[in-house]
Amino acid sequence: MSNTATCTLNQYIQFVERSFRTSQGTILARLLSLRDDHVGNRNLRSSDIATLVNGNCVEPLDEIIIYHLLCAKALCMKEYEQAYERQSSCVASVVKLIQAQQGDNWNLPLLYTVSLDLRLVAQKAEATYPSNGKILEKAAESLLAGFRVCVGDNRSSEPYSKKIGMLTIVNQLLKVYFRINKIHLCKPLIRAIDSTNLKEPFPLAQRITYRYFVGRKAMFDSDYHAADEFLSFAFQNCHRHSFKNKRQILTYLVPVKMLLGFMPTKKVLYKYDLALFWDLACAVKDGNLRGIDKVMEEFESFFIQAGIYLIVEKLKISAYRNLFKKVYLAENSHQIDIASFQAALQIMGHDDVDAAETQCIVANLIYDGKIKGYISYQHQKVVVSKQNAFPPLTSLC
Amino acid sequence: MSYFDFFYNKNIAKNNDTIAGTCYSMCPQDEIDLRVRENSVHILEVIGPVKKLVKSYCRSAADSNMAVPRILRPYSTLKETLEYLLFEVLKRRDVPTVVLYDFINDRLRAIRQDMTIQRLLSKQCACLLEPMIRFYVYFAYRLYEQPINDFDPVLNKKYLLECMKWFLSCCDDMDQKGEDKLEELTAPFSNLNINKNEFDRTLVESLYILCNLYDIHPLLRYLSLPRDLKRDSMLNLSYNIAVANIKGDFINTCRLIDKLCPLTYCAIFLYLPEIQKHALQVLAYGYNSKQLTVPGEVLQTWLRFNNKDETLAVCRHYGLEIKNNAVRFARDSFKKEVPKHQLQQNSLKGKGLTVEDIFTYKRNIL
Repeated sequence: MSNTATCTLNQYIQFVERSFRTSQGTILARLLSLRDDHVGNRNLRSSDIATLVNGNCVEPLDEIIIYHLLCAKALCMKEYEQAYERQSSCVASVVKLIQAQQGDNWNLPLLYTVSLDLRLVAQKAEATYPSNGKILEKAAESLLAGFRVCVGDNRSSEPYSKKIGMLTIVNQLLKVYFRINKIHLCKPLIRAIDSTNLKEPFPLAQRITYRYFVGRKAMFDSDYHAADEFLSFAFQNCHRHSFKNKRQILTYLVPVKMLLGFMPTKKVLYKYDLALFWDLACAVKDGNLRGIDKVMEEFESFFIQAGIYLIVEKLKISAYRNLFKKVYLAENSHQIDIASFQAALQIMGHDDVDAAETQCIVANLIYDGKIKGYISYQHQKVVVSKQNAFPPLTSLC
Repeated sequence: MSYFDFFYNKNIAKNNDTIAGTCYSMCPQDEIDLRVRENSVHILEVIGPVKKLVKSYCRSAADSNMAVPRILRPYSTLKETLEYLLFEVLKRRDVPTVVLYDFINDRLRAIRQDMTIQRLLSKQCACLLEPMIRFYVYFAYRLYEQPINDFDPVLNKKYLLECMKWFLSCCDDMDQKGEDKLEELTAPFSNLNINKNEFDRTLVESLYILCNLYDIHPLLRYLSLPRDLKRDSMLNLSYNIAVANIKGDFINTCRLIDKLCPLTYCAIFLYLPEIQKHALQVLAYGYNSKQLTVPGEVLQTWLRFNNKDETLAVCRHYGLEIKNNAVRFARDSFKKEVPKHQLQQNSLKGKGLTVEDIFTYKRNIL
């Protein structure tokens, strides 16, 4: 195996054939991966791959090998659009092969590998020839074909069922959909996964990726409790050395937790190089609206790129609550003038706020259950409950 | 055939697969003959003794080939047709507005069909789509009170969204290809260049936000737009309205609405009952009391009702008690399940605006 980087084309074909005949899925996958040493092998980059392979190899494999090697060749020549076309054909051939092999699933690693490669090549092509996500969209269609084969495998008994491969392909699709901002397309995939009940659970790594994306989707749908649950699972189970992934999960988990009233510790934020959230958390805690605006301005592109800008905007509501609680504690009374709240808002950076808007903010907080009490328009006062006037945010659901 | 030839042919076919129409009148001769023979000339296509037919929309079916140059109109003719429909036909007063709407909507669909089949350039599509978007936004407002049998707001919204999404993807396309930049470079050399502001992109971007007020996607789109676009005063205003609304800040939402231009106002007007209903519900919690009340006039200005009677009627509609022209809010008496109220249409802001203005006004003039 070790000499695929230098072997001849014939030897390479023999390797592929042997691993196919002996049902060695992982080895076969490696031999047809674009991220393996053999991609750099000059012997495999002959000028006429198609005629050399044709007739030199068993039926379904020849097509796959041809497309794979043509794709590798295009990649070496930096012709990414062409590489994409070829990898897409390669995936189609693999899907056909896998569909034909009923009652067995040893070949799933091959499907995983070519699917992942397709996404990577598509991303590269998209970056080189921007098409508004059209290349990635087409890639998603190819991936869906693989997904359908996995879902549709109803006849094989469980340890040999291709259903176990669903989640890996779904994760690839989720990655594509999030990248091209077509989050609504995730819904049928999520439904398909949630309604599958296999005895053996999906691999943990795939479950983590899946929850990460489902959590992000819940966040977009403003379902913060669900988002918290999914993202927390992902964070807790993610391998401790996967620093980048953990940081990525935290980027979403932290603002969600903050919205639900749980403030992050300084230690964890600094550990994961997310200090900006510390400034944000402090500003929210203090009801410092100007501080929130400052963080938002400074890290605007980060928040926008991560898609959490609007969530951060919503944190201002928590900041209002914290600010008003401070006013309440300072006034030490159950009847507080609207004017006091208004003044506090103005001091904290809401310069042009007037009495009407202040009342609107208070009314919303009461409506959300964040303040217990009522407003009197006639007296321009807020009357708060004698007990637990500002229930902790974490106690609300 | 070797694989190389296979790929080569496939790629060639992909790029050259466009058809250019050769029909230089608003309606292909075949259709004129057919419709005159079958007696299916629309009343709006008859002007005194003259018949002026416009190609009607026809669903594509498996057995009919629509990609025939003879029956497709090129860009210049499409533009002419569009202008004829919006500036001439829309002036007709001899038929009910609903009939006028149905007729024009159908002919606009036919235009879009021709655009799709010919795969017009992004810029041309944008030029044709912008007035259509204005049309759908304006008529959603204008026909708001019509019974569902005469005017279906859901269908109208569907067409509107179709146009808007198409328009915006054309803009993205142009951004990516840098067509505008190229134009800027060549502009000094050709004084007779086509007017650069042939379509109002920020108007459509604003409408996209305001027509989908509770949808997060237009906001995410706004956030990722280039900085100079984001700074546009109306687009920024639209974003602020949507964000204020998401945060439930109805006072700010309503205040900002006052600053909108006529078409963007038309768009938000349809959401006003929803905004008001939610606001009243929040107020019912916030001002929950057995004795205290809030004066009707205050609510009227807060929530932009047309007059005091309307304010009180709407409050009553949701089960709130009225005492001496003031509303007593109580969280338990607010009826959430009641269908949302209808608003009386107030005359469009910027009075003196004719139908023609709706399709041509540029914001900086107003």
